[in-house]
Amino acid sequence: MKTFLFVIIVIASGTAAGVVQGGMNLIFVEPSLDQAIGIENQHLFAKGEAEDNSEFWIKYDGYRIWQKSGQVLAGAILGASIGSLFGIVFAFSKNSLPGKTTVQKSLILAGIMWLTVYLIPFLKYPGNPPGVGESETVVLRGILYLTFIALSGFGALGFYKLSKKLKTKKLIAVAGYATFIGIAFIVMPQNHDPITLSMDLINSFRMMSAFTVSVYWISLGLFLGFLWNYYKPDKEISSSFH
Amino acid sequence: MSQSRQINVSKNGVPVIAIIALAIVFSAGLFVVGFDQGHIFSLVYGEQAFQDMYLHELTHDMRHAAGFPCH
Repeated sequence: MKTFLFVIIVIASGTAAGVVQGGMNLIFVEPSLDQAIGIENQHLFAKGEAEDNSEFWIKYDGYRIWQKSGQVLAGAILGASIGSLFGIVFAFSKNSLPGKTTVQKSLILAGIMWLTVYLIPFLKYPGNPPGVGESETVVLRGILYLTFIALSGFGALGFYKLSKKLKTKKLIAVAGYATFIGIAFIVMPQNHDPITLSMDLINSFRMMSAFTVSVYWISLGLFLGFLWNYYKPDKEISSSFH
Repeated sequence: MSQSRQINVSKNGVPVIAIIALAIVFSAGLFVVGFDQGHIFSLVYGEQAFQDMYLHELTHDMRHAAGFPCH
């Protein structure tokens, strides 16, 4: 395999998919974030921790523009990060993934990883807009979320490997994973932080957030599939003379 | 003399150096966007970085939008 080319197309596809997600967030997620931060501001005024005057709003608006610009930059960084994991898994699993073309294989893996390392952990520990979640519990919540992602991801990989070793049907691996993650779902502690915003706002935020993360995974599958198909980093051309 | 060109698809040839490089990108990127509370900048700015939380604030909106725990 061509090492440099492989690394470059993996990072490029992840970064590009992350920029798409960041851009989509500006349109679909930011309205919920602005609304939630607006409520936080009202709490600050009510507690006397800030004054509702033009000086506050000028500072606030400038700060939010800076934070929103970070959405796309953070999208590129997170996109490259998750894309790197995706690239490693794809390189190892490409030959055993179903699908006729590289793009189909890449999209199928993106779907599997979207389900196991995003959607199922999201159902257990759904994301929240600003204003929900105590500062004191943020490390604990981070550890729980990462642990659940790791359990789900390694669980899926483990049951797939086991079914291959035992030469059983893939359906048995799926059933094994479903049982394992079902138990983890029940056993892992709940997030007990109080919900202080309206459920309408939270649900709208969660739907939009899940939508843009899903767009990221589809984009990632497409970008890596197309780039891999075009540059073929796993093909080596050898010449021989007769 | 004739020359033949052969295309070989390597089955198990994922280079270790590529895996290490991508694993570093994965870990560093995930930490920066998902979990940093001033830790990285504290290497240069010390305790002040935990007050400023520059990276946390810059990546704040994506942190929420991507489903990471925040406050």
